[in-house]
Amino acid sequence: MTEPVYLDNAATTPLDPRVLESMLGHLGSRRGNPSSLHAFGGSAREAVEEARDSVAFLIGASPGEIVFTSGGTESDGLAVFGLAGSAGTEKRHAVVSCVEHAAVREAARRLEFEDFEVSWIGVDADGLVDPDEFDASLRPDTALAAVVWANNEVGTIEPVPELAEICAAKDIPFHADAVQAAGRVPIDVSQTPVSTLALSGHKLYGPQGVGALYVREGVSLEPIIYGGGQERGLRSGTQNVAGIAGLGTAARLAREEMDDHVAHERALRDRVMAGIGALPDVFVNGHQERRLSNNVHLTISGVEAESLVLFLDSLGYAIGSGSACSSGGHKASPVLLAMGLPEREAFSVVRITVGKDNTEEEVDGFMGAFSTAVAQLRDISPLYAG
Amino acid sequence: MSDRYRPQVVDHLVRPRNTGEISDASGRGESGDAACGDVACFTVGISDNVLENVRYKVYGCAACIAAGSALAELVEGKHLLDAARVSKACLEDALGGPLPAGKEHALTLVLDALHKAFEDHWNRKAGDVLDAHRERGAGGRSVVAAMSGGVDSAVTALLLKEAGYDVATVTFRLHDGERGSRSCCSPDTVLFARDTAHRMGLPHFTLNLKELFHRRVMQDFVGSYSEGKTPNPCVACNAHVKFHASSFLADEIGFHHVATGHYARVDEGPTLARPVDESKDQTYVLWPVPQDLLSRTIFPLGEYRKTDVRAIAEERGLAVAYTPESQDICFIPDGDYRGFIRKKVAASPGDVVDDEGRVLGRHAGVVDFTVGQRRGIGVSAPTPLYVSEVRPRSGQVVVGCRQDLEVREVRVRDLNWFLDPDQAACVQVRYNGSPVPCTVEESADGGWVAYLDEPVLGVAPGQSAVFYTGDGERVVGGGIVARSSS
Repeated sequence: MTEPVYLDNAATTPLDPRVLESMLGHLGSRRGNPSSLHAFGGSAREAVEEARDSVAFLIGASPGEIVFTSGGTESDGLAVFGLAGSAGTEKRHAVVSCVEHAAVREAARRLEFEDFEVSWIGVDADGLVDPDEFDASLRPDTALAAVVWANNEVGTIEPVPELAEICAAKDIPFHADAVQAAGRVPIDVSQTPVSTLALSGHKLYGPQGVGALYVREGVSLEPIIYGGGQERGLRSGTQNVAGIAGLGTAARLAREEMDDHVAHERALRDRVMAGIGALPDVFVNGHQERRLSNNVHLTISGVEAESLVLFLDSLGYAIGSGSACSSGGHKASPVLLAMGLPEREAFSVVRITVGKDNTEEEVDGFMGAFSTAVAQLRDISPLYAG
Repeated sequence: MSDRYRPQVVDHLVRPRNTGEISDASGRGESGDAACGDVACFTVGISDNVLENVRYKVYGCAACIAAGSALAELVEGKHLLDAARVSKACLEDALGGPLPAGKEHALTLVLDALHKAFEDHWNRKAGDVLDAHRERGAGGRSVVAAMSGGVDSAVTALLLKEAGYDVATVTFRLHDGERGSRSCCSPDTVLFARDTAHRMGLPHFTLNLKELFHRRVMQDFVGSYSEGKTPNPCVACNAHVKFHASSFLADEIGFHHVATGHYARVDEGPTLARPVDESKDQTYVLWPVPQDLLSRTIFPLGEYRKTDVRAIAEERGLAVAYTPESQDICFIPDGDYRGFIRKKVAASPGDVVDDEGRVLGRHAGVVDFTVGQRRGIGVSAPTPLYVSEVRPRSGQVVVGCRQDLEVREVRVRDLNWFLDPDQAACVQVRYNGSPVPCTVEESADGGWVAYLDEPVLGVAPGQSAVFYTGDGERVVGGGIVARSSS
């Protein structure tokens, strides 16, 4: 069988060979702790600071505003808990969208257990937050607001610059999860007044297990991990030097090559969309225009997601499932339910996300396999009359 | 590897066997729910109890699709008795081993859909004749054992198997209030009974008797109460439902006997006799079983004490997590039967009167009263008051003192005699009551009258009167109390 084709780039991207190369020097025996005074420590420190420059470069920040973490989830957690923890005791309210990644959603739910009141901002059928509704839910006692820059499931791009302006005018800290958006959507924190912004390495052709949180100068955060005071005291613990070096390279490449990547992804994405259009009872979820260049999210009537994903896997194509099946029955995605998708359809969703390394031939091969799998699964489905 | 699918599962997913639907199927079964994310549908073609054709459809995860395919392949061509024996463990073997953690429900789902197709097949065959069914008698060593999911019926099936019988088990769907009724699959009681049977290597079937049970048991229960009577629904079930349905299935699969987990014995006559464990005696509710059905009935537990039964279950490793025992009325699990009736019939308030018709107070409805009742009358009096009669037509509840309840004459209708009525030496008028010596006499209206040697307190119309032989051991016959007098 030929090499399997990877079309699940929103789950994780392949590691760019140039990124790998930049990491290898920090994985050998000659390595140091960035906090050490000697030469070993010095060269590790240099690598970390160089990466900090690159990550800052990606989003228009100053290097001193970048905190390295273990990934997107930790960055989101540090932002949500950090902003909540540093707010005055009289500020016990948060505004959070219904289409957040679990890292923000579950952190906000945790705040609810700590006597925080959370206003969950709904979305329209395309998954878009309404800035007026968002504005109206901000209060004098709001400690923080959080809206994802681009949703990880359906790929809808939220009006984050507008929302950040609204918060800035009211002096309310605003967090944006840009894990999926970075490298695909121009992000410039010198123009967009977010307070914090989360990034992840492995969605940018960088390594897994490393991420960053942008923390605007002057924004106060309560740490969630205590120890040696690394990363300006916001993230104690010896840095993951090789990972950070890889993230730095990935961030630099993402900035330099963004236009090419986006154009390539968009062409492949539109090719998938065009192919899908020919199939009966398959629907695209999310906003038609305001969506990530690599994302196709579909409802396929009468076909359960996991069976389709595994069917395609056996044919050599890797895509993402939009729901998880477990012993307690299926769990519908809160994002899709917030968009008004009926629960029974929320189990028939898959996500196809292309990447810079995919080719037209791969996409064409995928479309053939996809229509075969859909036809066969519908043939045995009691829920598809077609 | 543990959370990944085996190659066999993927093979069934990509090349599913026996897919589709049979247009002129003998039975069709569906389990699951689109809202849960899994639906399985089986259609079967059955001829001479052989599963000639099996087709399935599934909307669901890879495990469900593969399990459906493997099951269809496994059972096609098999005799129904062998197909009904296929357990979750067999199915797992066919799929190359255990499914990944969290996917076990796929096995339950597809088995349930197949079993519902069998059920549909039996129900179509039974049609309307089920409650009139009588056929073959006793003889060989094969038996249909009714399984409720409780310990008694499980041990019944086990004892019969160990005694060398060919055993097939059956669970009845009687009402919608069954334990663990969820939108997915069958209620837990059915799934549990099926698991228990399969663990013993026995085939398991289900029959849907909801319509019959509703018509012959629940409606009668509500109707009797509104007529001021005190019905016993277990008696109605034994008279019309359980034994007839078991017997129907036995005839269909060519089996001789039927068995239940009742504590009673079948003695010469045939008639019913008291069990070894007299504290569990159920002869009082078994009297209406027609004699020709009783002649093919086995009650293995009649020879055991309840403590022995529990010990056997433990010793043989039978799971007895569900013991729906000691529920008075199975379709009223919370025991609030007045509340149950109130939901079915509007209460009409009336007077509480004494035996001379003097109004002592008001009540909210006759359904709240039973002859012999002392509590909840709502009238204060120097001596305790008891309900001595309920008059549904006038809405009157008659109360009196304890002596007013004394009864010496009991009129009985709907009799079922096992032995010559001359042998009736004593009568029992209450589930846990003692037999009272009596003489019986046929009355002009076709019923019988029992003249009691000593008075009994509060005999409620609608309850059973069961006649025993002089030693109190064997049932001569039984009937329903129509009326009693002092």
